[in-house]
Amino acid sequence: MRIKSALAAAAVLTLAAACGGGGGESSSSPGAPVKLDFLSLAWQKESVAANKQIVDEWNKANPGIQVTYVQGSWDNVNDQLVTQFAGGTAPDVIHNDSPALAGFASDGYLLDLGAKLPAELKSDIPQTAWDTVTFDGGKGEQGVYGVPFLQESQVIIANKKLLDDSGVRVPAAGDPWTWDEFSAAAKKMTKGGTFGVAWPMKSPVNKTLNLALNFGGTFFQTAGGKTTVKVGPEEREVLQRIHDQLYKDKSADPAALGQGTADPLPAFYKGKFALLPTGVYLRQQVAEQAPDGFEWVTLPAPKGTSAQQGAVSQTLSIAQESEHPDEAMKFISFFLNGANQAKLAKGDWLLPTSQTAAADPAMTTKENGWDVATASAKDLVVAPFLKVNGFDEWKSKVATPALQEYFADKITLDQAATKLVEDGNKVLERYQR
Amino acid sequence: MTATETRAAPPRRSRARRRGPSRKTREMWLLMLPAMVPVLLFSMGPLLYGIGLAFTDARNTRVHQTEFVGLENFTALLADDEFWSSFRIGAIWSVSVTVLQFVAALGLALLLNEKLRGRAVARVLSVVPWAMPPVVIGLMWKLVYHPDAGILNDLLGTHVNWLADFSLALPAIIVVGVWAGMPQTTVVLLAGLQNVPKELYEAGEMDGAGSWRRFWSITLPQLRPVIVAITSLDFVWNINQFGLVYVLTQGGPGGRTRLPMLFAYEEAFRYRMAGYASMLGLAMAIVVLAVLGLYLWRQMREAR
Repeated sequence: MRIKSALAAAAVLTLAAACGGGGGESSSSPGAPVKLDFLSLAWQKESVAANKQIVDEWNKANPGIQVTYVQGSWDNVNDQLVTQFAGGTAPDVIHNDSPALAGFASDGYLLDLGAKLPAELKSDIPQTAWDTVTFDGGKGEQGVYGVPFLQESQVIIANKKLLDDSGVRVPAAGDPWTWDEFSAAAKKMTKGGTFGVAWPMKSPVNKTLNLALNFGGTFFQTAGGKTTVKVGPEEREVLQRIHDQLYKDKSADPAALGQGTADPLPAFYKGKFALLPTGVYLRQQVAEQAPDGFEWVTLPAPKGTSAQQGAVSQTLSIAQESEHPDEAMKFISFFLNGANQAKLAKGDWLLPTSQTAAADPAMTTKENGWDVATASAKDLVVAPFLKVNGFDEWKSKVATPALQEYFADKITLDQAATKLVEDGNKVLERYQR
Repeated sequence: MTATETRAAPPRRSRARRRGPSRKTREMWLLMLPAMVPVLLFSMGPLLYGIGLAFTDARNTRVHQTEFVGLENFTALLADDEFWSSFRIGAIWSVSVTVLQFVAALGLALLLNEKLRGRAVARVLSVVPWAMPPVVIGLMWKLVYHPDAGILNDLLGTHVNWLADFSLALPAIIVVGVWAGMPQTTVVLLAGLQNVPKELYEAGEMDGAGSWRRFWSITLPQLRPVIVAITSLDFVWNINQFGLVYVLTQGGPGGRTRLPMLFAYEEAFRYRMAGYASMLGLAMAIVVLAVLGLYLWRQMREAR
C-alpha cells in the first residue's frame, strides 16, 4: 500500500512539474491593454533614440496597445530567434533583414502579412522593395513576410582633395563612373605611398554579390525547382576587377584587405588612400569622426553593363505565434509611416523605402551626400541570393573563406569558382530534400 | 527511468516484490524519491531526449515533420569534411591547452609552495582569473589582441590582426585558454603539494638527492593521483569549451578556430539541423568518454 501511494505521489509530482513547464502565459483579461514586445536591432545612438521616441509616441496615443521596446543585436539575432521560435517565446514584432527572413518564412515561424497590410502602407513602398520580402512560406505558396523599411546601397566615399588633385572626372548622381573609369581613376590617384582605393574584405560576400549585378552576375540559378551555384563570366567580372586593382594595377591598399568595413577609416582620414567603396551608412562615422578640415564627398557606385545593385532591406515582421497579430500590424504601420521612416533613415544613415520619406528635404540635401545616396535607391533590385534557401550556410562555410583566399591572392579565380560551385552545391542540397 | 518503469507496471511488480527486496530497501527508495525526481526530470530527461534526437532528422522549424532516420546522421557525419577539420582543431586545442595548462600550473604551484615573501598575496592573485566568467575573459583578451588598439601590438610594435590571421588565430586562442584554465589547476596541484609528507623530502636530502631528483622521485609520484584527476577534468572542460572561443573568434577566420562545440552550435542554431547537431554532440561525448576511459584505465593499472 505504502508503495502505491508513494507512486501516486510521484506521478502527481511529475505531472505537476510537466504542466508547470508547458503551460503558456494566461491570456490577458478583457479590458487590460494588449501587450506587444518589439525586438529592435537599432544600434547607432541616433537610431536607438529615434526608435524609442516613436515607441513612446505610440504608447501615449494608444493606451489599449502597449509596446515594450526590447533591445537586440545584429551579431546574434538569428541565433536568438531560432531559440525563441523553438521555445515559443519570440517577440511579437521582429526587426531583422530580408536575407534572414527567407529561412524563417520557409520554416513557418513568420506570419504572412499579405492580407493584413493597410493600403496606405502598401502603396507608399515600391514593389521592388516588397520583392525583397516575398518568399516561399514552406508549402510552396508565396507570401509577404515583413515590411521593408531601410535599404542599403553601395556608394564610394572619396577624399575630396585627392580626387580634385588627380583631375579625373567627378561622377554625379545620374552619371557614375564605369568600372574602367573607376579603375583608371584609382590608378591615377596611386602615387607616392598613397593608394587610389581600399577594399576592406573581412566580410566579402554580400558586398561582392551585390556589386556583381553590375555585370548581371547572379551567382545562383534555379532550374526545375533546384537551385545551384553558378560562377560564369558575368559573375567573374567584378571579382576579377577588384583583384586586378589589388595585384595588377596595385592601386588598392593591401593593408585594408583583412579589415572590417569601418576599420580603414583612420587611414582614410590620414589620406593613405582616396576612395572607399562602402555602404551608405558609413557616411555617419565619417561625418562624425573625420578630423576638422577633412573634406569628403559621396560618389555613386560604378556601373558595368548596368548600374544595378542587389538590395536587401531591414524589415519588421510578425511572429506566427503572436497572440495579437492585428494590433502588431497597426503598430508596424504607424512605426513605418512616411514621417517616421524619414526619422529612422536619418538615424541610421540608410535609405527609406517609403516614397513619402524619400521626398523629405532631409533625404535630398547635398549635405553629407544624402542626394547621391537617395538617388542610388533607384538602382536597387532584389538581390538574387535572397530567395536561396541555405544561402546563410553557403555564405559562412563556402563563400566567405573562398573569397577571402581569392582576394588574398592565395588561390586563383578558377579555384575560387570551383569551390563556390562544388562545395556550394553540396551545402544547398541539404535544404532541398 | 525508475519512476516511469515502476509506474507503468505496478500490479506485477508489487506481487513480485512481496518476496523480493526487504522493507528496508523499499523505504530507502521511498526516501530517495524526492531527490531522484529532479535529477530524472531535469538531467536525465534532456540527456535522453538529446540522444533520441540524434537518430532523427529533427530541424528547428515549425513546418517540418520529424522522422526517425536511424544512423543516417552518423554516416553523414563521417563523410563531412567540415566535421573532421573541426574535430582536428578540437583535438589540437584540447590537448595543447591541457598540456600547457598543466606544465604552467605545476611551475606556478611549485613556486607558490616555497616559503617566499608575499606568498599569501601571490596565491590570491593567481586565483583571480578563476573569478572571471569566460565571456569577460574573452572580451578582455579581444582588447589585448586588437589590431589597432591592442596592448600586444603596442608592445611588439607590430600590426598583426591576431584573431583574423589564418595561421595565428588558433595559437592565439590557445594562449587565452591556458591563461583562463590555469588557476583551478594551480590550486588543485598546490593542495596536492601540501599533502606530500615532509619526511620524504628530509629522507631524500639525507640520502643526498638533489632538488631535481627530489622533484622527479618524490613530488611527481606523490602527486600522481592529483595530476591524473586534474588533467582529465581539464581535458573534458577544454574539449567542451564554447563561451571563450565564441566571444573571441566565433570560430573564424574561415573556420580555423571552429571547435566541435561551436560547430554543433552553428548546426543547431544557425542552420537549424537539430538532429545532426545532436548526433555531433553525442559523437563528441563518446570520443571524450573513450579517451578518458583509456587514460584513466592506464593510469589506474600503472598505479597498482
